[in-house]
Amino acid sequence: MEKATKNMFDERVTPRELKENGAKYIIDKIKRSKGYYVTNTERDLSQSDFKNRIMPHTQLLVARERNDSGFFSLEISGGASVHVDMMRKQMNPLEKLQVLAENMPDTLFQNLCRGLNLFGYRPYPENVVRLTVKTFARYVHVWRVFDFLNYIPNMVAVFEEVKKAGCLLEPSICFSTGPEHTDEYYVKKVGEILAVTGEDIILCIKNHGGLGTPRRIGQLVKGILNKYPGLPIHYHGHNSDGNDVGRIIEAVINGAKIVDAADHAFTGFFGPPPIITVVDTLEEYGYKALGLNRQAVIDASNILRPEREYYRDFESQFLGFDPTVQVHKLPGGATGSSFEQAVKGGFLSRMPEILQKELPRVQVELGNWWSVTPGSQILWTTAVNNVLKGVRYKDASDDLKNLMLGRYGELPFYKPADDIFKAVFGNEWKNYVDCNYCYQKIENIDLDVEKKVLERRLGRVATQDELVLYLQHPNDAVNFFIFEAKYGKTWILPPKIWFRKGGFGLGEKFEIMDAYGKLHAIEIGPQRKTKAGDAVTYFNVDHHPEPIYTEMEQEGSSKKSSGDQVRRKVSISVKELNDLAKAGDVRSQIIGTVNEIPVAEGAEVSAGEVLIVLEAMKMLTNILSETNGKVSEIMVSPGDKVEVGDPLMTITKA
Amino acid sequence: MSVKRRKIKKVLIANRGEIALRIIRTVKELGLEAIAVYEKPDSESHYIRLADDAIMIGDRPRKEYLDIDKILWAARKSGADAIHPGYGFLSENADFSAACEKAGIIFIGPPPQVISDMGNKVVARKIMESAKVPTIPGTGDLATGDTGIAQAIAFAKEHGYPLMLKASAGGGGRGIRKVKNEAELKMQLPQVRAETRSAFNDDSIYIEKCIESPRHIEIQILADYHGNVIHLGSRDCSIQRRHQKLLEIAPADLPADVLEAMYDAAIKGARQAGYVNAGTIEFLVDSKTNEFWFMEMNTRLQVEHTVTEELTGIDIVRQQVKIAEGDVLDIPASRVNMMGKAIQVRINAEDPKNNFMPEGGKTLEVYQSPGGPGVRLDGVVYQGYRIPTDYDSLMVKMTIRGYDWEQTIQRLKRALNNFLIVGPKTTIPFYLAICDEPDFKAGKFDTNYLETHEQVFDYPEQEREVAKLTKLIAEIHARKANPYAY
Repeated sequence: MEKATKNMFDERVTPRELKENGAKYIIDKIKRSKGYYVTNTERDLSQSDFKNRIMPHTQLLVARERNDSGFFSLEISGGASVHVDMMRKQMNPLEKLQVLAENMPDTLFQNLCRGLNLFGYRPYPENVVRLTVKTFARYVHVWRVFDFLNYIPNMVAVFEEVKKAGCLLEPSICFSTGPEHTDEYYVKKVGEILAVTGEDIILCIKNHGGLGTPRRIGQLVKGILNKYPGLPIHYHGHNSDGNDVGRIIEAVINGAKIVDAADHAFTGFFGPPPIITVVDTLEEYGYKALGLNRQAVIDASNILRPEREYYRDFESQFLGFDPTVQVHKLPGGATGSSFEQAVKGGFLSRMPEILQKELPRVQVELGNWWSVTPGSQILWTTAVNNVLKGVRYKDASDDLKNLMLGRYGELPFYKPADDIFKAVFGNEWKNYVDCNYCYQKIENIDLDVEKKVLERRLGRVATQDELVLYLQHPNDAVNFFIFEAKYGKTWILPPKIWFRKGGFGLGEKFEIMDAYGKLHAIEIGPQRKTKAGDAVTYFNVDHHPEPIYTEMEQEGSSKKSSGDQVRRKVSISVKELNDLAKAGDVRSQIIGTVNEIPVAEGAEVSAGEVLIVLEAMKMLTNILSETNGKVSEIMVSPGDKVEVGDPLMTITKA
Repeated sequence: MSVKRRKIKKVLIANRGEIALRIIRTVKELGLEAIAVYEKPDSESHYIRLADDAIMIGDRPRKEYLDIDKILWAARKSGADAIHPGYGFLSENADFSAACEKAGIIFIGPPPQVISDMGNKVVARKIMESAKVPTIPGTGDLATGDTGIAQAIAFAKEHGYPLMLKASAGGGGRGIRKVKNEAELKMQLPQVRAETRSAFNDDSIYIEKCIESPRHIEIQILADYHGNVIHLGSRDCSIQRRHQKLLEIAPADLPADVLEAMYDAAIKGARQAGYVNAGTIEFLVDSKTNEFWFMEMNTRLQVEHTVTEELTGIDIVRQQVKIAEGDVLDIPASRVNMMGKAIQVRINAEDPKNNFMPEGGKTLEVYQSPGGPGVRLDGVVYQGYRIPTDYDSLMVKMTIRGYDWEQTIQRLKRALNNFLIVGPKTTIPFYLAICDEPDFKAGKFDTNYLETHEQVFDYPEQEREVAKLTKLIAEIHARKANPYAY
């Protein structure tokens, strides 16, 4: 038994091995191995089925079991997680990795990096990309890199930095289906990647939609290995249609060396399939999961299962598998949030039409490229707009326009038809597109200036790590830093506290270990309201009475504004909003967040000039001036949430 | 000078806030009736409730307490036969003392002549000089215009720069300006004169030699109508901001012979002035040579009288009443005990980091005060108390008594940490920073302490991690959901 354990450990790949022997050594070890490795794709599980909300507390609960499990890697960073860590978990994404690394010393950490888009939704300047990769490479050993157009120039800077940092580079080919998506195309793409990276890589087949049949995936793996024998292939898929176990089996049978799955207690409908099911099935076929400690995987799920109830609010709105994913191709990671938007936007009843009719049509019309961030958002938003507005391609988002102007790279197969260009850019589209079509090269920004801006916003000196986080998502990073200064390291809180609704019971007690290792006993006592309507809650902290004052100003102001809102809702239609805008009363036509205000009060503006950039569903929308005039008042600032009808700016007509 | 014995039955306290309460407490201990007066904005003040009766004397904040006619009207109305003026307001107003005398009401304090003599710096200097009390080299009132400037320059030639320009009628740190050279002198003199005129309605100015980085040491004295004058020891009030005291210590850490010389000077000076009742003689002491000079005499009960009371066990207010009744002081100097150390801090609702900006208008949502050995509190605040915008921001004076300096500082720190105040910013973290500052711990400080130890303003507003977490849990609880998670 002891011997078996030792063998198991020898089969494993560990951070120590990577550090001592280098990336090539690990890749060679994988190549030589008889069997396959398993990656626990916890990030994708969280993102696909729980909107990225799995808390560090939960991750720490199973850190030991997961570390003992002997995964090839644990995917725990990248994708939308960097953003959500700061925005909704109030945790520093780098600190998360550091803390987890301390608790999981034998496990490689993996992330998902969107090439030049990093962990965001549109391209960053190259110097930001390089600095970010360098910073995250302190904790992330395996870098899975992709581009939604499979456009290699969008990934080169990341490739270079990953290699420089001595990490394992895993370039991806995004996979989809359709007449253009042949094995020949993908094999050729792999060749283009290898030409840039050299042979010491792991190649990822990124099947973010969980598309194709097991047979199709098996053929693809075989096709690639025929051309590039020995290339370690890492198959990544989603279980949206319920058949990813089948695809994994075929991938391994045909030579894939690493596959993605996740803890069964937390698996859902759109993320990865359960590890144990994959491992047990493959065992029957004679394939051995290398280094994997089956019991530790089961132990982790036994610990996780009771935690799941605390995440109930974040489970996908859309329950059940969705075999129609083969038609709409929505990536697993976007399914939950799409349905959340449909519920909030009140168009849930139109989802079958959007998903099964409009989205497939838009895909084909726009070029049949890959529905993955940020392309999936472009397709999704366009399809939703087309259906809800009843007019196709009207008021196209800037991201769609940029895409059609070649800003993000060459479309892989074909350009949209002329009538689509006309619908998007107007009658003069041909001239406009001819003049403006080009790949977008983003100039480097002055990092010292950015740091000074950050420091001014914080009112203190900022660290290099803070700058890196700020460069990803400026407003959310600043809000997080302010939060952390006020409330401390709250990521230690269990989900039963963090997500509690309706308040705590009188006398409810918790034991909390703070981030510095001190154990505290906290008991909830009575609460009273002050004259001003604020709350004073009496706590027993470590058996000492501590009254805590909570300002309830938000409640007060929302009371005040809710009246306004009611008035707004009954009185303002889209037509009225347009008329108001023409009169210089600029209001929001969407629910979103103010991203940028390129004009200042007092500025002269002309009709068509961008006044405010709003962000909703990860998409930017420009609010243009309907009139010539002067900006007399700006009512919002970047980071503000706005609702339909909220006043944004006043333009005094010239 | 002698006065016939008379029994006081009812004392009106012509003051507000903590000092009114302090006086009420002793008046009640003596079995006398205490009458409070208040301006309308003070109608919810705590001290009123502890008096036997309280009389509203008008609506105007800080004006009615200065109105002699209204105070005397209240005394007559309530049948008070004595008035205690506290500190500030009318306490050093000779006209008030005289008006009380005229109205047949006992003024618990010195006679009018003494108040006016000591209130005029130049007269006070002369009296002290004649009693052989060392005074800082200085001039009499300067002539106006160029003649005055010429006088000043001549003085500077003899004693050198820097010099202090001082308003003869000044006090409390106002009307004082330091000049470093002749150019500054010429520029500042007319300015100080103009300021003095508007502040004190009297533009007399004189010059003194500037003692650099001195210590501010004062001697508490008691004098009766029968010629007995005793001292109750010294207080070190060196730690000040802009000439206003923040923290006072008894006794001063000085060699015994220096202290003896100062006691002697104080008693001689008080006798020469014909002083009666409780008073304080302030000296500047050279930090290096321990040479000392008379600075001024305060003819009233002082804010920091508490440290002397804690050190000696003598209730100064009680002695004031007894002296006013014509009693003979029955405390032989040999019986004044001065073991240990006492220190008083003024806990104000102020932001020390923001130039001690008062936090007026904020409410004490939570107030819990310390206790235990050696802790005395003189305060008027309570949970729900609103920091007034019309009056000063003093919440509570805490006086700590300890066996020696080290223990006193440790106790002070402990007690400061035991305050639980939610609402306004306070001076507590600032005092805590001072408690940890090595020079202060070593007992080394002078009047420039805050200028030379700016780091005490750099205290972290850091809370314990668990306090921060609890704040979030309170928010999740109060809002019924976590606004940072959804």
